[in-house]
Amino acid sequence: MLSYILRRIVSTLPVMAIVALFVFSLLYIAPGDPAVVIAGDQASPEDVERIRQSLGLDRPFLIQFGSWVWRILHGDLGTSIFTNLPVSTMIGQRLGPTLSLMMVTLLLTIVVAVPLGVVAAWKAGSLIDRVIMGFAVFGFSLPVFVVGYMLAYIFALELEWLPVQGYTPLAQGFWPWLENLILPAIALGCVYIALIARITRATMLEVLQQDYIRTARAKGLGQGGILFVHALKNAAVPIVTVIGIGIALLIGGAVVTESVFAIPGLGRLTIDAILRRDYPVIQGIVLLFSFVYVLVNLMIDVIYTLVDPRIRY
Amino acid sequence: MDRRTILKGLAGAGGLALTGGLSAPALSQGAAARTLRFVPQANLANFDPIWGTQYVVRNAAAMVWDTLYGIDSSFQPQRQMVESEEVTDDGTTWTFKLRPGLKFHDGEPVLSKDVVASLTRWSARDPMGLMLKALQQELTAVDDRTFKWVLKQPFPKMLFALGKNNSPCAFIMPERIAQTDPFKQISDYIGSGPLKFVKSEWVPGAKAVFEKFADYVPRQEKPSWLAGGKQMMIDRVEWVIMPDPATAAAALQNGEIDWWENPIADLVPVLKKNKNISVDIGDPLGNIGSFRMNFLYPPFNDVKARRAVLMALSQEDYMRAIVGDDNSLWKPLPGYFTPDTPLYTEVGGEILKGKRDLDAAKKLLAESGYSGQPVTCLVAQDQPITKAMGDVTADLLKRLGMNVDFVATDWGTVGSRRAQKTPPGQGGWNMFHTWHAGADCVNPAPYTAIRANGDKAWFGWPTSSGTEKEVTSWFEAKNLDEEKAAIGRLNKAAMDDVVYAPTGFFLGYTAWRKNVSGVAKGPVPLFWNVTKSA
Repeated sequence: MLSYILRRIVSTLPVMAIVALFVFSLLYIAPGDPAVVIAGDQASPEDVERIRQSLGLDRPFLIQFGSWVWRILHGDLGTSIFTNLPVSTMIGQRLGPTLSLMMVTLLLTIVVAVPLGVVAAWKAGSLIDRVIMGFAVFGFSLPVFVVGYMLAYIFALELEWLPVQGYTPLAQGFWPWLENLILPAIALGCVYIALIARITRATMLEVLQQDYIRTARAKGLGQGGILFVHALKNAAVPIVTVIGIGIALLIGGAVVTESVFAIPGLGRLTIDAILRRDYPVIQGIVLLFSFVYVLVNLMIDVIYTLVDPRIRY
Repeated sequence: MDRRTILKGLAGAGGLALTGGLSAPALSQGAAARTLRFVPQANLANFDPIWGTQYVVRNAAAMVWDTLYGIDSSFQPQRQMVESEEVTDDGTTWTFKLRPGLKFHDGEPVLSKDVVASLTRWSARDPMGLMLKALQQELTAVDDRTFKWVLKQPFPKMLFALGKNNSPCAFIMPERIAQTDPFKQISDYIGSGPLKFVKSEWVPGAKAVFEKFADYVPRQEKPSWLAGGKQMMIDRVEWVIMPDPATAAAALQNGEIDWWENPIADLVPVLKKNKNISVDIGDPLGNIGSFRMNFLYPPFNDVKARRAVLMALSQEDYMRAIVGDDNSLWKPLPGYFTPDTPLYTEVGGEILKGKRDLDAAKKLLAESGYSGQPVTCLVAQDQPITKAMGDVTADLLKRLGMNVDFVATDWGTVGSRRAQKTPPGQGGWNMFHTWHAGADCVNPAPYTAIRANGDKAWFGWPTSSGTEKEVTSWFEAKNLDEEKAAIGRLNKAAMDDVVYAPTGFFLGYTAWRKNVSGVAKGPVPLFWNVTKSA
């Protein structure tokens, strides 16, 4: 297993190299110029050109790409064109809020969606099933920002239970940390709760038709044991797969959620960097995201072996 | 006990178990009252007011770095860091003396050598600074508190240049920082102003923190814009960046922030209804909407085509698209200079007044030789102001019978594409939309957009010898009457040649919690003399 994990980690290197080349090329040919943004509206074309030169943006593509790759190989993601801060520092500042948001969302999603899917499968065709699946369709259809605004209006402005925006690090207390994440996590989690509940229901329906479930019932096992121990464990592989895909999708969802709830995370950093054409920051974030994506896939593969002992690498 | 208290209790208990009892230091009511949480107009992405000239950088820099002079609300430069100045009879040698006791945030005294280095860096980037540099014989420190600027010929607008509030301002930095190449960014933010920048708490795109500088020596005069006594009544100013206006509005209503610099017009009615919130015009100098036509290529290389567009243009359409139905937020602008300022004029602006004459405009357009070629119109969709103006322009051009090539893009792309001098079909353009801060349009000195010196002019590269002649007349004017006369002639010449199309004058609101007092109108958010109660 360890050698498999190592092999998989090593295999991420060519993937990331291709991503790096692709992103760098895309940014190079994309319209827009950070020097124009820096110089401001009143600047002369000569000023803009001097800023381009000072940033090294006037150099040929291959030289720019080569020096960037060289720095990456030395563990240096570069320096932001705008803030003059190391890209690694900027990413480090934003990692905590995004990880917190993703963690709480994921936890919420699993805690809510899996039992809902199991219950819907158990009560398939009943009113409970229809209500749960109705909610799933509803959650699936609503855009994140609409849910976000609705939640903020009800729970922050009207009821005054939770704050509208912001992020407090965990080091400043658990409740201050959590209270800023509850509404964003619900908003972001809606789609994933719907998705995972539906997948869980579908998989469980199939498993519940199996002979060993009938045998378990015949042995007199309780309904809870049958559903959550025997059936759910055997339905887990597709559910874990979807949760894994969900983590990757969360990265995209976080961009909108962080803007709506003013959470200073990586999503907002990405948008800001793209709008300003802050190339080193964009490149650093994309590399990080691609690495996370590969890592999540690896984790899922490992989890497969834990939930299904028949799977071996 | 309410639901929130129960939730807090439950989560707190769980949290203690998970974090081993980590908790936040309690912020006393007094401490909260001494911290002002402010949502600025944009992200503070960099913090070098000479290298990056965006207004949000200027606004933050005005807290951290002081200037030699400050423009007051009557547009007069007043002494700030300077104690006295003398000018020789021939107007070529200026000698300035600094106030005693001025200190930088690292405790070092402000010396003449710091001023000389700061002015040298500033004059490499600022349009007025460049003019001064061109006239400069020497800029030297005479002693620790005295410096001298010797010019080849008089420059009557010297004090205005040193105190003007449009970007880049002549901020005074320590010599070691000011010696940085003006085209490279500084990384040390030791200032001379009433607030210190807390670099360790800066999260670009999210938060910037400023703390009161205890050793700042404010002037004794009454504060007025960037002039007068800058007394800090609060200890800490936190800039909270909020990209989403709806979130900022909700946070202000919920008391999570104290002051929002520029609420969008759509949300102002909601804020006005809230009894805990005050709403008023923020910057009385407002903004001038504009679209620029490219003088290099047909159809707008012909003044008839430019005048045809101006003749058909309804400023009311543009302004309503930007500010909605609130009539207090806009004014027609048959000219190029900021309304309600000393040099405002409507001389030559008749073409923008009265009923719009579409038929006459079509006739004039036909006389220009326009024969249906595409008109490439760049419209940044990510800026509500340019998007609104672009939609109105597209409709206007279509009604004139023009073939509109509407390029919907983002501001970053407009910014680089507008610099292209190639023909419209080959990466160039025919027109783009923007707006100018009213502070930039009070006179020709900071007003890059009014210049019409062809290749050296701003994007669109207008040529208008009459306009340029009167810019020079204004610089040489010896009193306000001469200045006004020059500006009248300048306005007419620029209107005749249509240097650009002004789409109207519009204002914006600012909003703050009622426990905050002392919020003053000005071209820059002014944090001094602002107080906050618990």
